[in-house]
Amino acid sequence: MTKRVEKVVIVGRDAPGWITAAAIQHALGRTGVSLRVIELPSLLQGPDVYSAVPPLKGLHDQLRLDERLVLRACNGVPMVGQRFSNWSGPSAPFIHGYDDQPPAESDLDFTQYWIKGRQQGLRSAFENFSLGAMAAKAGRVPTGAADPQQPLTAGYGYHLDARRYSVLMKEVAVRRGVATKTASIAGVELEGERIRSLSLSDGEQVDADLFIDASGTEATLIGHLPGAEFKSWREWLPCDRMIVASGNRLQPPPAFSQISAFRDGWIGIFPLQDRAAVVGVFDSRLRSDREMVESLPVIARLPIAGDAVVSELRQGIRDSTWVGNCVAVGEAAFSLEPLDGVQLHIAHSCISHLMAFFPVETSAFPEAAVYDRGVRSIAENMRDFQAAHYMLNRRFDDPFWDRCRDVPCPMTLQSRIDLFAARGDVSLYQSEAFAAQDWASLFLGHGLMPETCDPRVDLIPEEDHIAKVHQRLQDILALVGAMPPVDEFLANAVYQNRPEVAQGG
Amino acid sequence: MTEPLDVVILGGGTAGWMAAAALVSSLPPGRCRLRLIESEEIGTVGVGEATLPQMKNFNRGIGIDEAEMMRATNATFKLGIQFVDWGFKGSRYIHPFGIHGPAAEGSSFRHRWLRALRHGLKSDIQEFSLAIVAAEANRFDFPDDRKTTLKSTFDYAYHFDASLYADYLRRLSESRGVTRTEGKVKTVERSSETGNIDALVMESGERICGDFFIDCSGFRSLLLGNTLGIEWEDWSKWLPCDRAWAVPSERAKDFTPYTRSTAMEAGWRWRIPLQHRTGNGYVFSSSFIGEQEAADALLGELDSAAAAEPRLLKFRAGRRAVNWEANCVALGLASGFLEPLESTSIYLIQMAIMHLVPLFPAKSMDPRLRYEFNRKIDLEYERIRDFLILHYHLGSRDDAEIWRYCRSMTIPESLQRKIMLFRHSGIVEEYKDGLFNPPSWLSVFLGQGLVPENYHPAADVQAQDQLITALEDLRTDIRDHVEEMPGHERFVARYCEAPPVTELPKAEMRL
Repeated sequence: MTKRVEKVVIVGRDAPGWITAAAIQHALGRTGVSLRVIELPSLLQGPDVYSAVPPLKGLHDQLRLDERLVLRACNGVPMVGQRFSNWSGPSAPFIHGYDDQPPAESDLDFTQYWIKGRQQGLRSAFENFSLGAMAAKAGRVPTGAADPQQPLTAGYGYHLDARRYSVLMKEVAVRRGVATKTASIAGVELEGERIRSLSLSDGEQVDADLFIDASGTEATLIGHLPGAEFKSWREWLPCDRMIVASGNRLQPPPAFSQISAFRDGWIGIFPLQDRAAVVGVFDSRLRSDREMVESLPVIARLPIAGDAVVSELRQGIRDSTWVGNCVAVGEAAFSLEPLDGVQLHIAHSCISHLMAFFPVETSAFPEAAVYDRGVRSIAENMRDFQAAHYMLNRRFDDPFWDRCRDVPCPMTLQSRIDLFAARGDVSLYQSEAFAAQDWASLFLGHGLMPETCDPRVDLIPEEDHIAKVHQRLQDILALVGAMPPVDEFLANAVYQNRPEVAQGG
Repeated sequence: MTEPLDVVILGGGTAGWMAAAALVSSLPPGRCRLRLIESEEIGTVGVGEATLPQMKNFNRGIGIDEAEMMRATNATFKLGIQFVDWGFKGSRYIHPFGIHGPAAEGSSFRHRWLRALRHGLKSDIQEFSLAIVAAEANRFDFPDDRKTTLKSTFDYAYHFDASLYADYLRRLSESRGVTRTEGKVKTVERSSETGNIDALVMESGERICGDFFIDCSGFRSLLLGNTLGIEWEDWSKWLPCDRAWAVPSERAKDFTPYTRSTAMEAGWRWRIPLQHRTGNGYVFSSSFIGEQEAADALLGELDSAAAAEPRLLKFRAGRRAVNWEANCVALGLASGFLEPLESTSIYLIQMAIMHLVPLFPAKSMDPRLRYEFNRKIDLEYERIRDFLILHYHLGSRDDAEIWRYCRSMTIPESLQRKIMLFRHSGIVEEYKDGLFNPPSWLSVFLGQGLVPENYHPAADVQAQDQLITALEDLRTDIRDHVEEMPGHERFVARYCEAPPVTELPKAEMRL
């Protein structure tokens, strides 16, 4: 006798928990799936910030959530790129922007044109050929992504106040009809590899066909299940402490996150409308929490307002991200550094996989293995992207950074680096968070210069090559010039045309 | 500028001339000097008379005019493959080049269809594929470029005479500067230092040196297998067929825009309509039937008079463990063999070439390029392998030894998982590189009788009567579209009619 999965309970907190609830309710609320959220106490600190890659905008669109509302409610600022400085010794900083993959009119990526140009004396840096990077640098927002007439398009994500965004997403979920209760979990009763029921702090027993653990790194549910041990990625991502604080607002707010390496880790400055969030990660073996708090204003080169808060940082993945009737989403499944805008993308990518492979009946969950494989692939992809910053650093004679270069890479990253170094080509695997041009901008930004290029680029006559490179610069100049500056963009979003509050159903 | 590389292509069958044509057209002049060695005494196998839609990219890439190529190769159009008697005797389905219906309301078509099926819909999923409905009506037209129209939901490939295609590419390659050398290889010289191949010594005594060798020597795998000793990975426990009889017959009345594959007592039989004749063959396992018996069975099933004596071909399913080793890459049969059940032979040659071009080496033979090439080829082979095994394994035929064996054999874990997921709830995992797309898996799963037990809950969002109406409208729409398409025969005659055949079809082996 089979029984459909109808009763779903999310144990979660903060934005990842509420995004999960909103997305499931949106997709399945009308199909007889009932959803309830047990809300755990927030783990967010006042200064916390989410920096989010462009796909978050797509998720909001799916949930029919108005961008202006998001920006207004969360003191949000568009995140058009991430700027990396001091990672590679004396090399210039670089910006990773979010250019859209061009239509496949030719098989030859622009990266190849640039590499050959560089070999023949082209001076202009790779980022000058990225629409996203140049928009970020100019403090402008690439709003024209939907326009098919544009020769190039780029996307943007957001910097959002983490607490405010969590409150907003809770509102969205609740308005859509998700039942919620605030409680903590007093006990998890198992039956073999499954959760039979949860005991809440007020004595209520909760059962469900499917439990979703969106509790963050605490892994309140899945942590109890066999086969879901946490496996650390510290060998590649060596920082184990994180500091958050607030500085004065930057006026006008830059369109990028500023990520600067320092002796024992990195410091990020994430602009919001009312303040600048400062986030740092560092290695506790080299610097104590107190030292970090004291040196923060100097390293960040920004006066700090209010208290800084230090907490543990754990990067890694569960051995299994779905055990029995319990699936982990967000940081309960895997966790990374607050770098490259991945924070919310962790939950987002888990949710996408969960929606694609949503379990249909309670007697067996063969979806678990395919979910786990997909989530693992994307998790390792994001991990590799972050690890590449460390591996490719060129801060010589800083022991922390020297060690980062010496550690053997994950195999997947090593073969990607090898191929890029040999030919400027990016191999893509199953489920990827980042596209080929993201990797190219990362590798070239950190100074990994390919030794040869795709032979087909030599088929292009020199004058056509020069014209193509020139045209691209001109296109970018014209497109960036037509984009609204961040200030103007925000003025439109925040102060005019006040949107309706989140729609229901 | 990189010093030009001396590239020697050994073998002038389909693989050799495809490589020559593509390399001479895609690589900059001065990058390499191409030389192809073949012997008219060694027959070519003439791989595949049926192709996949990817072929069009290949041809476009080297600047081939479609109608001209089709005239020169007696080509016809192909919208898919019809499988007869595979899942069970009397069954019939088409694996189309195209999708079955659109996604809507956040749910893919198969789940919407499964839901409708449970609520009384009587239509087979095939009725929602324009490619299938057109194929069954023997009609053809080019797909629409605009991505939103019904007429953009299918694609097409060709049936052609592979040896005429090789001839066509030879003329093209030679006109673009490829040197052809007639002769047979006597020995192969290797560097004692690097292990690389240095030269081929010909029976004439000529010593042909090269920096990079492309082994298109067919089953013999003279360079990759014999010289470099790359071992053979045998897949015959999953794909037990090891022989094929091939025979051309006169052009049949039934001028289908699709290949037909009919399951037989010890394998399967192909039928491929060309302009001047029909290609037929029986792929069988010598463990389950005698050669003579198989030949008789084939001849007994022809739907037009045989135009030559049947010819026998022997093979094994499997591949070389790596396809690029040292300074030698193998293409086509020298790299591996998978039976032509899904017309993948030419596809595999094409993909190997398309993967090779961007990674084309310089004299240093950078191993990092080779790793990436081999990784990509591994994926291509394994994905096709699983898909082929599926045809043999899935179904309920128990009327012959081979089908009982295949149903109960242990299949690769990757395939077991796919079958289990589809059975459970219609899950078809998408993957990035390689064949086949979800619509292909869907057509074989369903066509061979595996109906999922559940469907994705998002398919329940749409109101039931709306869903049924939408599906019925779509079915009508497809029929109306097909009504307006010209007949395949007329289309071919107008677009690419081949000059009349003056000589008898060559009684060559084709696969």
